[in-house]
Amino acid sequence: MYKIEKISKSYGELKVLDNISLEFPEEKTTCILGPSGCGKTSLLNILADLTAKDSGEIIGFEDEKSYIFQEDRLIPWKSVKENLELVLKGEMDKNKALETIDKYLELVNLEEYKHYYPKELSGGMRQRINILRAFIYPAKLIIMDEPFKSLDINQKKILMDFFINLREKDRKTCIMVTHDIDEAIALGHRIVIFTEKPTRVKRIMDIENYKDKAKLRGEISKEFKKWDDSHPIKYRYLRIF
Amino acid sequence: MKKSTLRDREISLSSKLLIIIFWIIISRIIDNDIILPTITSTVNGLGKIISNPNFFNIIGYSILRSLFGFIISLSIAIVMGVLSRFSKFIYNLMVPFVNFLSSTPTIAIIILALIWLNNEIVPLFVGFIMVFPILYETILKSMLNIDNKVLEMAKVYNVNRMNIIKEIYLPSIFIGLSNILSSAMGINLKMVIAGEVLSQPRYAIGTNLQLQKIYLNTSGVFAWIIIILAIGKLYEYLMKGLVLCIKSKRYLSPMEN
Repeated sequence: MYKIEKISKSYGELKVLDNISLEFPEEKTTCILGPSGCGKTSLLNILADLTAKDSGEIIGFEDEKSYIFQEDRLIPWKSVKENLELVLKGEMDKNKALETIDKYLELVNLEEYKHYYPKELSGGMRQRINILRAFIYPAKLIIMDEPFKSLDINQKKILMDFFINLREKDRKTCIMVTHDIDEAIALGHRIVIFTEKPTRVKRIMDIENYKDKAKLRGEISKEFKKWDDSHPIKYRYLRIF
Repeated sequence: MKKSTLRDREISLSSKLLIIIFWIIISRIIDNDIILPTITSTVNGLGKIISNPNFFNIIGYSILRSLFGFIISLSIAIVMGVLSRFSKFIYNLMVPFVNFLSSTPTIAIIILALIWLNNEIVPLFVGFIMVFPILYETILKSMLNIDNKVLEMAKVYNVNRMNIIKEIYLPSIFIGLSNILSSAMGINLKMVIAGEVLSQPRYAIGTNLQLQKIYLNTSGVFAWIIIILAIGKLYEYLMKGLVLCIKSKRYLSPMEN
């Protein structure tokens, strides 16, 4: 079980995370929903050991973990294969690494792009490689920071299917941050709703308890609405963007 | 694309022809070999220089000096650049040194070098003070320009430090350097020859240039200029070839290395 207890984080005077305790069920996807700028990415960076926490405890995150970033973060002078190979160095020997890359590229029908460089690929395609990199890396845990954010609706649908397809083959524990309710419902087994800054856990919902997706969506929207009503100006601002 | 390259070549060729035509006309008008030698006397001068039994010694030593000096400058620049990137202390230590080299008039440093150093070393040193700051700053800049997000990615995926340097830092340095390498080599060659003019080593293009000047043999000076231009061009092709070779090795069959 992956667990965090009483995590707090401040940047100077600004308190971003306030006493957050959560459990992330294994082999399931937990979606963290919250308003933009509420510190979701800060939490992920703490889990990935990219940012130091002020206080609290992180349990079960010591092992290797993958990270699907908002941007592709591919190395421009390396081909798809080399980008994937880089993260496997030190994890397995070269032949095994090449075998794994070939296996995965075949699995998702991207073999023909093996020798392409990032600049030769479309944004959606690069993001697929970003997702694939996370699955190829031998980690049980995948951390995802709004991986579908910068994509248009069609691309988003294709990439979400791509992700689900991979997740079904490799039973990995995923922690995904998003601000898109539909995305959370489509991908998550558990949905965690955050409050606005300083961020606290507002509600935890297990999807299996909700047979009716429309009802679930309504309830999540209601949680958001409560927050929206108390901040009408900010809400309007957010709606525009 | 191909068409425009061809056109560029045509323009470049006609500009060269134009220079030669001007040279012919002006040298005819002036009609004085000491002020402006004609093409014929320059070719004769070239023949005389090449038939000198020491010709290959002279250009060999100058080429060796410039290559050797350049490799030293490049190696020191890479080491100091990498160290400066990772150590604030070394970075700060290098700032006044690089500023001193870039802003002090080169000739002042050369005069000091003539006093302090052996005349075989002076040309190398002169090349170094010109080229080192350019190389060092390019290397440092190309490392500082690496996207922090890519480094973060490498950290999350536990890519070890050796691989980060080999796969991320070195290629960035190489990409940065590949743009300036051939011009830096050209500058280095010119500065080494300038150093030779002043320090007069036994076998050197610079020493011979100075000799032609003393004898007021302007056609000899012209002939040496042609030889220097040819060496410069040779360096340029060499560097382009090297860059292409490394690039294709990296980009086409990177798994084999």
